[in-house]
This record gives sequence, C-alpha cells and structure tokens, in this order.
Amino acid sequence: MFKKILIIEDDKFLRELMSKKLLSMGYDVVSAADGESGLVMIKESRPDVVLLDLILPGINGFEVLEMAKKDPETANVPIVILSNLGQGEDIERGLKLGAKDFLVKAHFTPQEIINKLKIILD
Amino acid sequence: MYEEKANFKEDTDETFRRVRGALLNVLEDTDEARKGAVNEKNKTMAIVENLTDGILLLNNKNIVEIISHPVVDFFKKDKKDILGQDIRELLKGEDFKALRELLMGKEDKDIKIVYRQEVSVAKKMDLELTTVFLSKEGEVLIIFHDITRDKLVEKMKTEFVSIAAHQLRTPLSAIKWTLRMVLDGDVGELADEQKELLEKTYISNERMIALINDLLNVSRIEEGKFLYRQEPGQLEDVVNAIIEGSQELLKMKKMKLSADIPKEKLPSLNIDKEKVGIAVQNLLENAVKYTPEGGSIYISLEKIGGEIIFKIKDTGVGIPSSDHKRIFTKFFRGENIIKMETEGSGLGLYTTKNIIEAHQGKIWFESKEGEGTAFYFSIPIDIDRLA
Repeated sequence: MFKKILIIEDDKFLRELMSKKLLSMGYDVVSAADGESGLVMIKESRPDVVLLDLILPGINGFEVLEMAKKDPETANVPIVILSNLGQGEDIERGLKLGAKDFLVKAHFTPQEIINKLKIILD
Repeated sequence: MYEEKANFKEDTDETFRRVRGALLNVLEDTDEARKGAVNEKNKTMAIVENLTDGILLLNNKNIVEIISHPVVDFFKKDKKDILGQDIRELLKGEDFKALRELLMGKEDKDIKIVYRQEVSVAKKMDLELTTVFLSKEGEVLIIFHDITRDKLVEKMKTEFVSIAAHQLRTPLSAIKWTLRMVLDGDVGELADEQKELLEKTYISNERMIALINDLLNVSRIEEGKFLYRQEPGQLEDVVNAIIEGSQELLKMKKMKLSADIPKEKLPSLNIDKEKVGIAVQNLLENAVKYTPEGGSIYISLEKIGGEIIFKIKDTGVGIPSSDHKRIFTKFFRGENIIKMETEGSGLGLYTTKNIIEAHQGKIWFESKEGEGTAFYFSIPIDIDRLA
C-alpha cells in the first residue's frame, strides 16, 4: 500500500488536476515542476511512489530516472513514467533505466492511474 | 619474247595498282570507322563522367576502369589515383567498413549482387548501392546513389510528427482528466442534461486521442519503422486476449461471437505481439461497428500448410463491390458505412494491412453488400528462423 505520491510534471494544469484528485482520494501529494527539484524531492520527501513526466525543462525525465536509480539513497523508490510520448523505443528505454511501468497520460484518467499503481506496487 | 615480258610487267603493275587502290580504300574506311568509334566512345564517356550518381566500372580483376565525376568527390582522390586501382584497396578503412561489407561480404570476397541497399558511409553520408554484372567476362558496374538528403527529410518528418503528437496529446489529456472529474462528481453534482452533454464531449475527446494514435502509426508505417520488435509468440494468445477485451462492446450491441481456436498450441510465429494485436483489434472493431445490433461474428484460427490463417466473418452490411479495390487505402471509408457510423479515421485497414505484410503475411476479404464480410490474413511459419 502506498500513501505518499510525488508528481514530477511541468504542465501546471495537469499537475494541479492530478494533485487535487489524489488528495481527494486520501493520498499525500508532493509535486515538482522540473527535473532538478524533482530529484531533490525524491531524496527529501521520501515518497512511496513517483509519477514522472519525460518532457521537462532542464534535465529530462530519462535523466532524472537514471540519476535517481544511481543514487543508493533513492534507488529503491518505485518510479512510474507518466508521459505523452509512447513509442516503442521510449517505453523500452524507460523500463531499461528502471521504471516500474510506462503510462501514456492521454490513455488513462487519474482514477485509472491509481488503479494501475495499486496493481504495480503490490 | 620481248613483247611477252613487256605485257607481263604491265599486267603486274596494273595488279599492284589495283591492289594498292583497294588497300587504300580499306584503310580509309577503317580509319573512318575508327574515328566514328572514338567519337562514340568520347560521347559515351562524356555522358558517364557527368552522371550525377557515382558510377564505377570494374573489370573482372576488381580494377577500376571507368568512373563518373561524383566518385572523385566520394573518395576525395584525384581521378588518376582511382583509375587502375583495386576496389578493395580504395575501400580500406573504418569509414568504408559498412560499404565494403555490403559489397563484398565480411571476407572481402567477390563483388555480390546488390540491389538498392542502403548503407551509411563515414557517419555522414547515406548511399543506396546497386551492382550490375555486365557480361560473362565478369565486369561489374557499381552505382552509388546519394540519399543523404532524403534520409534527413525523413528524420525531420518523424521528429515533427512525434512532437506534434506529443503536443496535441497534452491538452487532450487535460480535457480528458477535467471532464472525467466533473462527470465523476468531484466538483459538485451535475444535472442529467449537463451529464449527458459532457459525456458526449468526453467521447469526442477520446476519439481525437485515438485519431492521434492512428496518425502516429501511419507516420511510422511510412518510415518503415512500424514493427518494433519481433519475437516468437503464439497468435492464439493474441487473438484470445483481443476477444476477451471486446466482451463489453459485444454485450452492448447484443452481438454473438463464436470462435474456433485450436486448444493445442499452434506453431510459434515470429511476431510483434503488440502490432498484431492492433491488427486483430481493428478487424474485430470493424466487424462490430459495421454489423447491426443482434448480429453475429465468427472467428477462426488454423494452420494450413506453412501458414497460420486467421478468419473473421460477420453478418454486417458488407462492402459494395465498387469499393473493393480501395478498401485498404489510407483514409478510405465506404459510402454505405459513413452513413451508418460517421466516426472513423479510415486508417484501420491501411494500418492492419501494413502490419500483416510487415510479417510477410497476406490479407484478403470476401464481401457482399447486405450479407456480410469475411476478412482473412495469413502469417507464414518461419521454421528456419526459430530452429
């Protein structure tokens, strides 16, 4: 079971929509709008799961993923990619770098994302 | 006696004169012919040297005898340093490694038959290579066709489509999530009329998301990069999963689906499971969409000879014979079904055909308007590859 979710998403509207929905479902939510602060938050707020976008200003999601997995302090935090990219190579790259799953934003509602997380993390 | 000697001398002189005349004529004709041949050769050489493709003519000992001008730029050498050289010497070095292998195999053997194969040179030039064997004496024509610019344009187009798709998906995700939250009552109760309207908006939005997926797929098909990865797999598993996932849809339209799928394992096929799934899904969705409520669908899968054949038959509206020729073309939708179901991208069968053919399979159909349609596809069992 998971309680604390970190959202790393640069689009303000999507980030707020997702936070609002997750809060209303009883989860603790922290968020970051770019890769660098995202990495810092993974370390400092110790979330149970991270929802990571790929297209971010500054360092991109793949780089965040790679660095988080390299750091022994954060290597075990489950990261699920939530992006509107979704071609075969992107998915394979994400999974290879250690993401637990790859979800295309446009294909899932916030509720469906939560349902997916429950399956992934159990 | 004296007279006879004189006559003899005259005859001989005459004969000599005549033979000399004839020889001179022959020499003149031969010289004419020679000049003609040299002119023709010069004309031909002028044409060859000014061709825009790189052309090399090798003799049967792999020595370069004729080249066109672009070859000079290609090797960055003077013409005199290329003519008379062995092609294997000219293609030494890391820059030409891929080209050398394509032309002569890994062990630098004889020139192979190559037809329009793409190869990269020195990391910055893309060529399309062709070899033509000219005669029994073993002369070979090698043709380098520069496609560097074509490849660049292709790359730019792919990037554009990817970025466009991504950029379009972002606001569509926002709309999808917002509508869902409002419809789920997260921001207050909705009146029935409001709910109905917003449901329709949600469905429209979903259609746009699906259309972007279709366009992305089509763009990848045209790049030739559509199949992502082929691995040994069971076609029956893919088909069964799609049937499972369609139960809700079938129930909504009160349709019956019967399937003849063998219980024993079929031979493994080398398939991109995701893409073959898309192909089967498209065919099943069409069967459901274009069959009125209460109709039935029949699916079968069997091994026939060296192939696995998939069949899907419906009791739907059928395809008018005037549309048969265009059924697999991009964006085509038959007139009879546009009236029935206004939504549809016209890309489903185009995508499906490309998926099947990318697996070396074939796709075909039988249909009569008013009676129904049966679609078939085959995928060959590539036993050698799996052994």
